[in-house]
Amino acid sequence: MPTLMINGQPHSVDVDADTPLLWVLRDILGLNAAKFGCGIAQCGACTVYVDGKAVRACNLPVGLVGERAITTPEGLDMADPIVRAIKSAWVELDVVQCGYCQPGQVMAAVALLRTTPNPTDEQIDSAMSGNMCRCGTYMRIRAAIHHAAGELA
Amino acid sequence: MTHAFSFPSAKRVSLSGTGALAALLLATLCLPTHAAHANAAEDGTPGSTPVERGQYLTRASDCEVCHTAPGGMPYAGGRAFKLPGMGVVYSTNITADKQHGVGTWSDEEFVAAVKQGVSPGGKHLYPAMPYPAYSRLSDQDVRDIRAYLATLPTSASAAPENKLRFPFSIRSLMIFWNIVNGPASAYPDDTTKSDQWNRGRWLVEGAGHCADCHSPRTLTFGLSTSKAFGGNMLNGWRIYNISSDRKTGIGGWTDAELAQYLSTGHADGHGTASGDMADVIGHSLRYLTPADIQAMVTYLRSTKPVSTPQDAVTFRNVASGDASLPQNSRGARLYASACAGCHLPDGTGRQSSFASIAGGRSLGADNGRNLIQVLVNGSGLQTATGVQIMPHFTGGGLSNRDLADIAAFVMTHFTTAQPHDLEKQVEQIKKDQD
Repeated sequence: MPTLMINGQPHSVDVDADTPLLWVLRDILGLNAAKFGCGIAQCGACTVYVDGKAVRACNLPVGLVGERAITTPEGLDMADPIVRAIKSAWVELDVVQCGYCQPGQVMAAVALLRTTPNPTDEQIDSAMSGNMCRCGTYMRIRAAIHHAAGELA
Repeated sequence: MTHAFSFPSAKRVSLSGTGALAALLLATLCLPTHAAHANAAEDGTPGSTPVERGQYLTRASDCEVCHTAPGGMPYAGGRAFKLPGMGVVYSTNITADKQHGVGTWSDEEFVAAVKQGVSPGGKHLYPAMPYPAYSRLSDQDVRDIRAYLATLPTSASAAPENKLRFPFSIRSLMIFWNIVNGPASAYPDDTTKSDQWNRGRWLVEGAGHCADCHSPRTLTFGLSTSKAFGGNMLNGWRIYNISSDRKTGIGGWTDAELAQYLSTGHADGHGTASGDMADVIGHSLRYLTPADIQAMVTYLRSTKPVSTPQDAVTFRNVASGDASLPQNSRGARLYASACAGCHLPDGTGRQSSFASIAGGRSLGADNGRNLIQVLVNGSGLQTATGVQIMPHFTGGGLSNRDLADIAAFVMTHFTTAQPHDLEKQVEQIKKDQD
């Protein structure tokens, strides 16, 4: 079993190669910020980064990760201006309702602003549609992303 | 794999008069011989014991997929083969169970069943069992397969009775079918070709019986030789053209891509195997040695090109990045929420190369037939890192129109295809499922 590089720390885990990454994060390492939602990469609640790209951890066998860098929501660094802008916007616009999906939403939003600093509504919809929110906070999410982009500009 | 049969209902093979009698006689004289043949084709099988060789050959011959019911015990039979217009044939229990399996058969009886399609008591098998292809195996190969099967757990369950309409219920009809359509016989190496080519031919035409799905059938349900490997229709899926045609077959693939596809079920730039082919990869091809995969590639390269316009696809250049999907149609919005999570806006696959659909023929071919099959039925591929699942999308509130819109978006976003009547296609495929 290769050592997993998670939030900059190496972790050796003794699991089968086909174990989903999310199981390793939550059940073995106690990193509970990424949530289990649908289990089939449909809801985005489990979003983490592999080499900086947003992926769905519920559907990613650890055997396919190799030595690539994994970032979980716990690993988002407040010193990073994009992370700080998104989290502040989330608080300022009171985006969160129940909160279950929000770690995934924040991960997706940060990834969006890294590649698209000033997204249009359509680009936000395109990038955020894979992250469901059963409370229906979509409009506040969209507004908060615009707000964060404005703060960073 | 499933094999759909289509015997012509009215126009049977017309063997009339003395010419036909002569043909019958001639064909009878040409029935298989059992000359031993030591050759390059046979030499590549790894394994130092009969059981080891048998395991390899059982996998190369893909016995398990057909001889296992969905979710059932391996090799205990019971998988249904629906033959349009004829009825249903069930695969048999080939475990070593003495009552319901092949436990009491002699080796000679087992060899005759596999290679000639005649089981003990002179009972003729239906050619859903690809004995015409297996006749390329040596008797020793088949005995080794039996030796391996004998090491596996036995099942005391009998396969369901076939449900065939008259006259297809008459097994002895197969005697005549065999005269017209095979079985062939073990053949010597073609000395004008390389050892690798000969091994590849044996794997593709013999053990692997690729043509059983990938070649169209003739009026008497034999395998077409004029359009060999030119693709076929089975159970509502388009089985793709694997002839060397550049545009509609595999002629445009590199050797490395073909080898990657055959040994893992995925080739970068060509998508991932689904449906029955995913079973073939998962239970058979991924166990073959790299040398055997190369041999198959070499042989497949040498087939006659057969052009099948419905398989032609022209791909578009697609923008990448999560923010790049247009959001101006239902299909695009549905793709963004239901599909891009794994497949990405540009189809290159988010977390796993197996989720890379970019360049896959199904994205545009045949008015979206296989694309919709995958949406409706899902697919699973056994890989070295576990099962890769594409879930089916028939639940979760997605309507037939939603699926049709997703398919239409995929076809027009990734390819230049002009889809039509996709909702009807979704309805039909859902109906065929029942």
